[in-house]
Amino acid sequence: MALHAKTTALPPIGNFSKQFKWWIGILLVLFAVGGYFIIERLVLGLDTTNLSSITPWGAWIAFYIFFVGLSAGSFLLSTLIFVFGMEQYERVGKMALFTAIVCMIVALTFVLMDLGRPDRFMNALIHWNVISILAWEIHFYLVYITLLVTELYIAMREDLVRLRTHDTWRGMIARWLTFKNSKITEETKKRDHRWMKILGTVGIPLAILGVHGGTGALFAVVGARGTWNSGLFPLIFVISAMVSGTALLLAIYVIKQKVTKKPIDQEMVISLGKMMVAFLFIDLLMQFYEYLVGVYGLEDGHLQSMAIQMGGPYSWSFWGVQMFLGAVVPIFLVFYKKTAKNMHAILIAAILVVIGIIGVRFNIVVPSQIPPVFEGRPFGDYYPTLNEWMVSIGIGAMGLLIFTIGDRLLPLEESVDTTELEG
Amino acid sequence: MLKQMLQTDWDRLANERLADPVNELEQSPYDTKLGLDMANDAKKVVAGSLNIEAFHKKYHSSLLGEFGNLFTQEPVKSDGSSSLKWGMVIDLQKCVGCDSCTVACKAENRTPPGISYNVVLEEEIGEFPNVAKVNLPMPCMHCDNPPCVQVCPVRATFKLDNGIVTIDNDRCIGCRYCIIACPYGARSYDFGESYEEEMLSFNDVTSPEYGIERGKREDRKTPIGTVRKCNFCLHRLERGEEPACVETCIGDARFFGNLNDPNSTVSKLANSPRAFRLKSESGAGPNVIYLK
Ligand code: SF4
Ligand code: SF4
Repeated sequence: MALHAKTTALPPIGNFSKQFKWWIGILLVLFAVGGYFIIERLVLGLDTTNLSSITPWGAWIAFYIFFVGLSAGSFLLSTLIFVFGMEQYERVGKMALFTAIVCMIVALTFVLMDLGRPDRFMNALIHWNVISILAWEIHFYLVYITLLVTELYIAMREDLVRLRTHDTWRGMIARWLTFKNSKITEETKKRDHRWMKILGTVGIPLAILGVHGGTGALFAVVGARGTWNSGLFPLIFVISAMVSGTALLLAIYVIKQKVTKKPIDQEMVISLGKMMVAFLFIDLLMQFYEYLVGVYGLEDGHLQSMAIQMGGPYSWSFWGVQMFLGAVVPIFLVFYKKTAKNMHAILIAAILVVIGIIGVRFNIVVPSQIPPVFEGRPFGDYYPTLNEWMVSIGIGAMGLLIFTIGDRLLPLEESVDTTELEG
Repeated sequence: MLKQMLQTDWDRLANERLADPVNELEQSPYDTKLGLDMANDAKKVVAGSLNIEAFHKKYHSSLLGEFGNLFTQEPVKSDGSSSLKWGMVIDLQKCVGCDSCTVACKAENRTPPGISYNVVLEEEIGEFPNVAKVNLPMPCMHCDNPPCVQVCPVRATFKLDNGIVTIDNDRCIGCRYCIIACPYGARSYDFGESYEEEMLSFNDVTSPEYGIERGKREDRKTPIGTVRKCNFCLHRLERGEEPACVETCIGDARFFGNLNDPNSTVSKLANSPRAFRLKSESGAGPNVIYLK
């Protein structure tokens, strides 16, 4: 609840809009309610979930890979700007980096919730099993977060230096974060630019191979689960990360501009929307091949889990969420003449894509663990409990709180001069 | 008079019982000198002045020459790997599907509700009137290349020199990746449930696994929150007993022994034409072998 203290202690001046207060209020309530369930889970253990030894991974793992995907996707989008110089997306650059950081924090919180012994999480660093993908992932995540924070800092440095003189909360944060003698000269500009490029370039393989491809590999290497066990699987992870990352930033940008009543860069939004759908097409194509090869493989366990995914009790999630809401509707909205230029329509498309990817993550994790690994053992039966949902909501609210507060206190937009503490 | 006997006198008296080594060895068809030398060096090994590897190195080739095929003992390897590999053979023709093994296992390891290190899968095959009932008892397979060991991020699960795959419940973080990876469904997560209501004092003993005394079973106390599985009753093996399921089996369907010793019962059975392994295509290399 340290976050709470911080927000309420913000400027005594009433420069918060009503909307903003409601927003923070709702998030705090959700976080508090979620917190109750988090404590319940920590006290009673995983007995509060519907997990079992047949279906040992559930909603929290699905959310974990969802948020790692969002993070990797947002980061890769930021590299388009900082490494490949696509200036047309400049407006979302720093926001993308910050989103990537918050998503990683959320993802790791989900992992922590899922561990049977969260108190021993440090073991993953102390006793590194070099042949375990999961062990590699944890190390990659930490390096990745460090890189993100450094990159974001450099990206904000100039704005922070400029903010030093402001007599606001933002100015104070800026004074904390920069040195007295920090300055902006042609030289530092060049230096910052070079470092952004270097970090971005190092980050690309890190995000693709290490962070999200690796998260996919974590599943793909498991020979016992046919549906995961393919070389295409990590690539699907990376592509769907790009889909969700682009969609999320698009949504954040449009919503923010609307709330703060600032003009929307229509061209950029339309082009981002097209990019999102392009990624979505590649994603669908890969999934199609994945299923095609699976069907022709005629392997029992594999066919069974596909049948459960598409025709079993979770088929609504596959057809309804992943395919209809997450693919058909957004593609239609982005291409249909009457909606293609409508900001609201594109916003809805982006939100639907993000929701669709949540469906994708669940459809990856859950149905594959329903048929038993060994014929004759019982089938699994998993549906998240109230506790699992509420913990997830609580962690989600925590992420949004961190995001909102960070957005208030840090110069995440393209230039400070135009974004001085808006109402 | 008795008091005047010295230590050496007693020893001489005792030695009178011993046969003359040369005489004795002459009677056997094998080399007398080799026998005497080995006996001398064996004494040195016992006294600690000669190490066992050097002993084996010295005699291995002469023993092979002398005994040929009859000599089966592997030399001790200097890298510390042992010639012991525990394995189990289950004769499905003898198994009657009584589930005694499961019960014995639960009693021995005091596993909580929802966890059974051993299960007996049952299935009816064929069509009436030609039907048969198949029983498949399954403990952990103690694989040669255990997928569970590959994936564990903290090396909490590992293979011992004697072939047994164990779990360090004090290190396990409960991520359950190993359950996901095991192709046989041999692993279970301890959710902390208890029989205390049906069975008074169930909670008094946590888990006797690996011979560790952990005291009362309580919330959040190891092994609750970690993963558990069959360990071939390592604690029983250490005191020279067979695993509980093997000892209990009413049809004498289970055999236990050293798969690296070609003369052991399990090795011989494992080489019989009836022998097969579950999911042998998976590459895990199970060390529980079935006879059909
Ligand atoms: S059967 Fe499963 S738990 Fe046992 S060693 Fe093999 S992979 Fe590990
Ligand atoms: S649950 Fe424990 S033993 Fe299994 S992989 Fe995780 S840390 Fe290793």
